[in-house]
Amino acid sequence: MENLKKSAQYILHSLMASGGDMAQVSVSEGRVEEFNMDAGEFSLIRSVFNSGASMKVIKDMKKGTASVNQLDKEAVDNAVNECLTAALTGVRDEALSIAEKEENCDFVSGALEPDKEKFFDSLIKFNEDVKRLFPEIMLEQVIASYSYGKHVFMNSNGVEFTEEDGSYSVSIMYSAHNDETVTSFNCVVVDFLDPSQDILETADVKLMLQRAVNELQAVPFSGKFTGTAVFSPACLCDFISTITDSFTGDLALIEGTSPWKDKLGQRVADESFTLSVIPTDGEIVCGERITADGYKAENFDVIKNGVLESFCLSEYAARKTGLKRSKSTSGCVRVHSGEKSLEEILKSIDNGILVCRFSGGEPAGNGDFSGVAKNSFLIKDGKIASPLSETMISGNLAEMVKDVKGFSKESVNYGACIMPYAAFGGITVSGAN
Amino acid sequence: MSDYMKKLVTDIKDHAELRMQTSRTRRVSVVGGSLVGNMSSVSKGIGARVYSDGVWGFASKSSTDEESAREVLLSAKENAGLLYSRMPKNKGALINAQKGEYTEKRAFVDVSQKTLVDFARAVDSYIEKTYPALTSRHVGLSSGCIEKTLATSEGAFSYQLFPRTYMIVSLSCEASDGTNIELFDVLGGGEGYFCDHYSDPALLFPMVDSLYQELMKKKEGIFPDAGEALCIIDSSIAGMVAHEAVGHTVEADLVLAGSVANGSIGKTVASPLINLTDFAHTAFGKRAPLPVYTDDEGTVCEDAVIIKDGVLQGYMNNLESALHFGVKPCGNARAFAFSDEPLIRMRNTAIHPGTDKLSDMIASVDKGYYLTRTQNGQADTTGEFMFGITMGYEIVNGKLGRALRDTTISGVAFNMLKTVDMLSDDIAWDFAGYCGKKQPMPVSMGGPSIRCKVNIGGR
Repeated sequence: MENLKKSAQYILHSLMASGGDMAQVSVSEGRVEEFNMDAGEFSLIRSVFNSGASMKVIKDMKKGTASVNQLDKEAVDNAVNECLTAALTGVRDEALSIAEKEENCDFVSGALEPDKEKFFDSLIKFNEDVKRLFPEIMLEQVIASYSYGKHVFMNSNGVEFTEEDGSYSVSIMYSAHNDETVTSFNCVVVDFLDPSQDILETADVKLMLQRAVNELQAVPFSGKFTGTAVFSPACLCDFISTITDSFTGDLALIEGTSPWKDKLGQRVADESFTLSVIPTDGEIVCGERITADGYKAENFDVIKNGVLESFCLSEYAARKTGLKRSKSTSGCVRVHSGEKSLEEILKSIDNGILVCRFSGGEPAGNGDFSGVAKNSFLIKDGKIASPLSETMISGNLAEMVKDVKGFSKESVNYGACIMPYAAFGGITVSGAN
Repeated sequence: MSDYMKKLVTDIKDHAELRMQTSRTRRVSVVGGSLVGNMSSVSKGIGARVYSDGVWGFASKSSTDEESAREVLLSAKENAGLLYSRMPKNKGALINAQKGEYTEKRAFVDVSQKTLVDFARAVDSYIEKTYPALTSRHVGLSSGCIEKTLATSEGAFSYQLFPRTYMIVSLSCEASDGTNIELFDVLGGGEGYFCDHYSDPALLFPMVDSLYQELMKKKEGIFPDAGEALCIIDSSIAGMVAHEAVGHTVEADLVLAGSVANGSIGKTVASPLINLTDFAHTAFGKRAPLPVYTDDEGTVCEDAVIIKDGVLQGYMNNLESALHFGVKPCGNARAFAFSDEPLIRMRNTAIHPGTDKLSDMIASVDKGYYLTRTQNGQADTTGEFMFGITMGYEIVNGKLGRALRDTTISGVAFNMLKTVDMLSDDIAWDFAGYCGKKQPMPVSMGGPSIRCKVNIGGR
């Protein structure tokens, strides 16, 4: 860490000594140990040793940024020069700033040393378990990695944070096959700290593999109806990410395209809907400790009981729009669970669809979306019925969150986010015929 | 540098690659007149991959001296050894490895950050003055170059530059129902440096005007009727059909993982009008949009013929899959960063043009849609593809009608391709995109206008 601090101090000093009015720097080093499986077989072990520095300077209220992945003097001096040159060619902007001084902290979390052997053993067991319990499943690609990083953040206001963390992650892309057919692929990503983790029993991995096997009976949907869509936890996570970007993120507010731009403090969703950003929650693996702006990260609610409590803004976007910066810029989120079980929610649906993956275009600025409901099942008379293929869904994100039919009391922790099942009304379901 | 790379890698008994790479990027982003992005980055390092009887080891470091090269080769060899010791495959040596040689003759040409900022601001200023009623505008300009030096244990050696420059302009306005309507386009650019494509910003103004006119039509747009529809997919987005609908299903690693194309070589998978090729560096007698001469396994790049007259001819391979299928590799193994291992990737994937005129194709549709702009797409193991549509028109009795709001189209590739009954006699390329498959990768895709049936999302 001391070498990183020296590099950061050198860069900061260079930026300020060369005429910067304000400057910040982030310097890091790390490693990744990665196991790859392709088509159900181990194929590659990859070791990556990385480093880097990213820097920002403000001069005459004009900004320049630069990054470099080597920390030798020549590479760093070139990057400093690029950063200053960029600032000189910039455009004056009164919203530019750097983080204000708060108490300096050192953060340490997670597994700081990899146990490659134990992790390899877990992966071998997972592969064997899947082959034994789900012979129809093809593990198309598994990327299992241990990541370690240490990081120093400094700015010219005296902010100095250090962070060191390490964790394991598995990304599993799979489909089911038999002699006649193949299902759509699906993917689950889980982060954890124990190299001996039983991967099949982690999050909803086992259930999703079982569902994929059931999807071998999928038939194309015929007709069209407007009804309730139940999103699986992983699918909900994707929708939530879209909502936070499109409705509460920097560009949506700076450009003024968010339909929620004037709704702070107002009801924007059903009162059962609470969405929190939880980078420091004990259930989140490593999370975020230092925001990209250089503040200590904190948990906060975006929507509480249906009311828009906060946007998800960087300090620049906040100053640009006159709003408050958010306490974290991470994607570690939780949608709060409801009181009914998934089974009870399903029982209340006469005509609907369970969507386990959504493959669609970017939603329009107003939240209109459409796309293919992948890995999905028809819900008929309160029960999960036939698996579906070639089925499209469409709706509007802003309207959808007002028409909540229920959040399940069960939730799934993927390490980076915690999600229940969620049922929304007003979704158009259509087939080819 | 090249001498020690060659020496170190040829000391490895099994197939091994040593790749040194520098990726330089400059980006400028102007949002509503504010310069929100003004950055440059340099990423430089060395990566090694070693094969051991069916398994691989890879290692990389962000330094490029001889000692680092030695370290990553040793680490890659140890990783391959560890994997082989626990999971031996005994698939034999990569006897099909080639000694590809290519040395780029052009030199790297940098551009100043000021040039990019001034150019982007000039375009933004034109938009602001000419179209003050817009609710938002975004001008992004990117100029980058990937520089690769590769040496393999078989004696392949290449030095290649992959420069790419492009500008994206996005405009928004408010529709009468209060909805924010957006539209974007890539204005000029392509393979090469900034100076190869841009000089006077005023040359782009007619393209901005055209984008604005389309936005005004979209503002009054309607949602299509959900369901299957007869569509004309414009040549400007036909590359998505080549890339998403077909290309991914015939990447041999996905074929081995069970894609729908598995076992279909020699079978009719499309209308006899369809010919589809993944071009290496020259397409239809011209330099391809993103040419690749030697891939990152040292294979000399050749065109990979995928579909001929509607019949599936082959897959896109790396050394390992080519050995598995008993075919000659065409150079599809590509890595994005120095820290990435080569994967099977597309290069310049295109459907060949036909003989029809676009105007005749539109006139031939009684009720359907003409789809002209796209944003993103996704493929599937099943061949079911989707891509987002950001601009299009209804066709009524052979004439273009009202514009469309954002929607999505989908279909099952080999079913949809059998419905193709007209192809226009022109071709358009999309060169500004990245394909996502563990790593990002610059790719180009192209095709003519296509008359076919697809599912369209709507209300």
